[in-house]
Parts: sequence; structure tokens; C-alpha cells
Amino acid sequence: MLGKLIRHEIKSTARIFLPLYAVLLVFALLNRYLNPLQVFDSSGTPNLESMLKGISISLYVILIIAVFVLTLVIVIQRFYKNLLGDEGYLMFTLPVKAWQHILSKFLTAVIWYFMTAASVVISVMILIGADKLFDFLPQLIQMIREAFGSSGPVVLPAFILSQMAAGTLMIYSSMALGHLFQKNRLMYSFAMYCALYAAYQIILAILILLLGNNLFESLLQSAAPTPAQLNSLFGMLAAVAVLMAVVHFVLINHILTRKLNLE
Amino acid sequence: MSWELKSDRPIYTQLIEQLELRICSGIYPPGSRMPSVRDLAREASVNPNTMQRALTRLEEDGLLHTSRTSGRFVTEDINLINQTRNKLAQEQVRIFLKGMSDLGFENSEILSILTDTVKEWSI
Amino acid sequence: MNNLLECRNLSKSFGSVKALNKVNLSIGQGRIVGLLGPNASGKSTFIKICNDLLTPTGGEIRIAGKKPGIETKKIVSYLPERSYLNDWMKVSDIIAFFQDFYSDFNRDKAYDMLKSLGIGKKDRLKTMSKGTKEKVQLILVMSREAQLYLLDEPIGGVDPAARDYILDTIISNYSENATVILSTHLIADIEKILDDVIFLREGQVALTGTVDQIREESGKSVDSLFREVFKC
Repeated sequence: MLGKLIRHEIKSTARIFLPLYAVLLVFALLNRYLNPLQVFDSSGTPNLESMLKGISISLYVILIIAVFVLTLVIVIQRFYKNLLGDEGYLMFTLPVKAWQHILSKFLTAVIWYFMTAASVVISVMILIGADKLFDFLPQLIQMIREAFGSSGPVVLPAFILSQMAAGTLMIYSSMALGHLFQKNRLMYSFAMYCALYAAYQIILAILILLLGNNLFESLLQSAAPTPAQLNSLFGMLAAVAVLMAVVHFVLINHILTRKLNLE
Repeated sequence: MSWELKSDRPIYTQLIEQLELRICSGIYPPGSRMPSVRDLAREASVNPNTMQRALTRLEEDGLLHTSRTSGRFVTEDINLINQTRNKLAQEQVRIFLKGMSDLGFENSEILSILTDTVKEWSI
Repeated sequence: MNNLLECRNLSKSFGSVKALNKVNLSIGQGRIVGLLGPNASGKSTFIKICNDLLTPTGGEIRIAGKKPGIETKKIVSYLPERSYLNDWMKVSDIIAFFQDFYSDFNRDKAYDMLKSLGIGKKDRLKTMSKGTKEKVQLILVMSREAQLYLLDEPIGGVDPAARDYILDTIISNYSENATVILSTHLIADIEKILDDVIFLREGQVALTGTVDQIREESGKSVDSLFREVFKC
């Protein structure tokens, strides 16, 4: 059933994401054709051509930002509308457990996070040429290797995934909590998000004070942290995020199974 | 003929009457196959269970019979149909007489009015 | 338990408001049951609890012997008061969705019924009128070969022709031995198709009985009896 839910979720969201990515890629292609990067090279007087190029590159940057924002908006909207809105009457009468709903929404969100990142990278590749990016890639890998040592390939992905999990589930959690109110649910959801975010930051601060004291002292004192220091910092952040994600998951599941009250 | 059901009497008894009427008036001719319960229920806009009960009652009375394989049929016993027809006729007459006596007519007056009206009708 | 639906002392409070107050009911198989009562008498709350959309605050409820949950959702087909259709979908999408999640869904039956309304596979839900969407939803719900159909206000706010269509669809499509529970405050329109009625008042069962029994004993239609019981 989880597989069916995810498949359906992807189908429901792909119809927005895919055209969005297509627009981004087409725009990158357009910019490459106009070659607006020359704008920065030319020191001559501005003319119509350079102005057009300037507008075009600005639009491209705005588009990239819009793609990121829209990704988040759709992730939020799918949870709110599909589970807590009128469509919830259909979803919650399917022979499916609440945790499967949560997981299907979350996993689909993660898929789109990566797809969004990939489409932005591809659009950059189109814009500046794949070869340039591939020249740059080994340098980046080298930098990461130097900073994190050999455990980088484990710690960094774990960190990124855990942040996605904690961030997304915190958003879901605030909507589930907002749903407990009879009125102004959207407003309460937002308030809940602020409260949860603040709580998260406080917990992090306390943990850092307790556990990471010497780590931060040395980070502050030495300009370049050692790989061991970085690994333990990111590892700790990841662990806290995973813990938060689990807590939120349990909370959301409890609300959706025991406290559900669709309007 | 449309199904006329009054709202203040049990639906079941009204369905029996309406089905009898349909059999006697030849809408469901002797020996013919009856529509399914669902179709009848839908036609009359009533609950299929109630229709089923009415049909069962008519089976008990002998007006209908069920063959295990091919469905439900109207009886071929013309005598039985005629009896039912007479029963329905008597009911109609009783209703008529009740209405007339409510209007204050004596039996003899009713008879003369009736004969006069029948004469007019047949012209 | 032999009954399809059984509840004992079922209660639900929202804060200090008692939406349902110690409801006891037994409903058998193969019945069409009218859940009648004025607005805010607890009809929707009851139906939502049966569908696991609300958790009771007291008492218990069993459908085919089980608490509302995954197992009951497999055998209960629910028509809520509002439209739950995803607007972006085509008819074929929503049919595929039902087919995917409900093993008792009869796709061909659904397509036949839609066809007779002149609705095709490629039609978009977005372009349909509110009335058509309601009919599509009813068709989806009645195309399941469920054991219990829970229909919340299926004829609320529709014109007489649509009402006839809806009642006709219910009578001709609920599966054999299944029970249909439908809530409404428009009794005169549906009493002919009911076996039993349950009157709810302020979250409590005010009266139960079969339609013919009520008509026989009171010499009135259920509708006029209702008007008396709930006289303001």
C-alpha cells in the first residue's frame, strides 16, 4: 500500500514539477544562446543588447529561486490540502495506516528535493557548459575530502538527509498541531512552526553547550578545523536532526490517528 | 401505470395492492415472467426488501410462483386471478359506498345515481 | 456478534459539547437505514466515527466485529457531505485510484454508470458542475461491492431530478446483503426506500423502528412523525 501511495503522490506532484523543471532548463538554454555571461566581461557602454542579456540572466536567477520556493510550497500544500483538507475525507478512508500516509508524503518530498537540486545543476551545466562544471567537480571533491577526511562520503549525505527529514517533518508537525484548533488552523500552523523552530534551536544550543564545548572553542580558535572536529560537529547535528524527525513522526502519527477532526 | 404510494399507510400493504392490480389488469399477464425484485423496486422507488416481502406474500397467495432456475412467474390460474379481481372490485365499491354515505346518500339513492351515471357513460 | 454494526454507550465530546451521548445501536445485514435528525443532532459525527475519521471519547463501536480501522475501511464505502475529489484529475485517474486502493471496486460498473450520464474517461473533474461532481462521487462509492455503505446527506441540496437519480442509483447498486445507512433531514423524500429509521436528537437515539411498523402503529408517515417528535 505504501508503494501505491507513493506512486499516486508522485503522479499528483509530477504534473507541477516536471513543467517547472522544463521551464528552468529551457531558460538556461535560452541564456546560453544569448551568452549573457559576457555582460560581465564587457566594460563598454551599456546598450540594448547588454541590457537584454542582463534582464535575461536576472530572470534566470529569479527562476532558480522560484523553483526552490515552489518545491517547498508544494511539499507543504500536498500535506495540508491532501490530508488535512477536504481530500482528507478520501485519503483517511482508504484502507491505509496513517504512518503510511506520512511516509509517502515525506519520501515523495525527498525525491523532489533531489530532483529540484538535479534540475538546477543541469540547468547550470546547460548555461556554462558541462565541461566547465566537470572541471570544477574534482576541485569540490578535493575540498570536501580535505575538510572531512575519509568519512566525508558518509557524514555529509547523512547530514543532508537528516536535515531534510527534520525540516520537512517539522513543517508537517506544525500543520498537524495547527489542525488541533477549531478555527484559524492555517494561522495556528504557522505559529506552531515558529514555536517548534525556536524549540529546535534551543535544544541545539543546549546540546552544543553540553557536548560540544571544547569542539567550539577549538573551532573558534583555529582557523581551519580538523576533519575529526568537522565530522563530530556534523555527526552531532545529524543525530539531533534524526531524533527530532522521529519525535515529529510519532507526534504526527498520533494526531492523525487519534485526534483527527476534518472540517 | 405509475406506482402510487400514500404516505400514511405501510408501504408493504400498498405494494401488495398495486401488484395485484397490475396482475389483474393484465400488465403482468398470466404465465408471464415478472421483472426482478431490484427492477420492480427501482420502478416503484421503494426498498428492495419491502418489494421482496410483498412478492413473497403474493407467492403465498398463489398469484405468483417461483421456478428455481428461471425466476418468478405470474400464475396461469385464471380463476385465482378473477377472484383477486373481484376482491379488488369489492374494495373499490366499499370505498365508493363509504364516500357516498359520508355525503349523506341513502342506499336506494346511491343505486339510482349509479344506474343513471352508467347509462350516461355508455352513450 | 451477528450484527454488522453495533455500538454501546458510544459518546463523542468536543470540549464541553456532547455531539454523541451514549448511543446504543444494532444494525443487521441487508438493511437500508435512515439516520434522521435535525442539523447538529450527531448524524455526521456518528458516520465519521464509523469511518475512523473521529475517535470516540467513550463507549465502543464494532463494524463486522472490528473497531474502525484498516479492516473496516476495506468493507465500508463512504460518501462524505463534501467533495473530496482532486480537481486536477481526469475521470480515468480517479477510477484508477479507487481500483488501486479498494479490492472491491468494480471498474466496469463505474464506467457504465458514468457513461449513462454522458461522462467520458477523459473528462476532467475541474470542468464539471457541482451537481455532476456529486454524482461522480456517488457512482464511485456505489461501484464498490462493500458490506456497509455510509452516505452522509446524499440528497442534501439537490433538485428533484437529481434526487431521483441518486436514490435510484443507491437502490439498484448496493450489493446483496449489504447495509446502507444514509443520513438526512429530508425524510419525506426517502422514506419509501428505507427499512429502518433511527431518530437522533441532541446526540441521543430518540426513536428507532421500521418504516412500516411506524406507519402501521401511528397511522402517519415517518415524516409527519418526525415533525411531531422534533417540533420546536
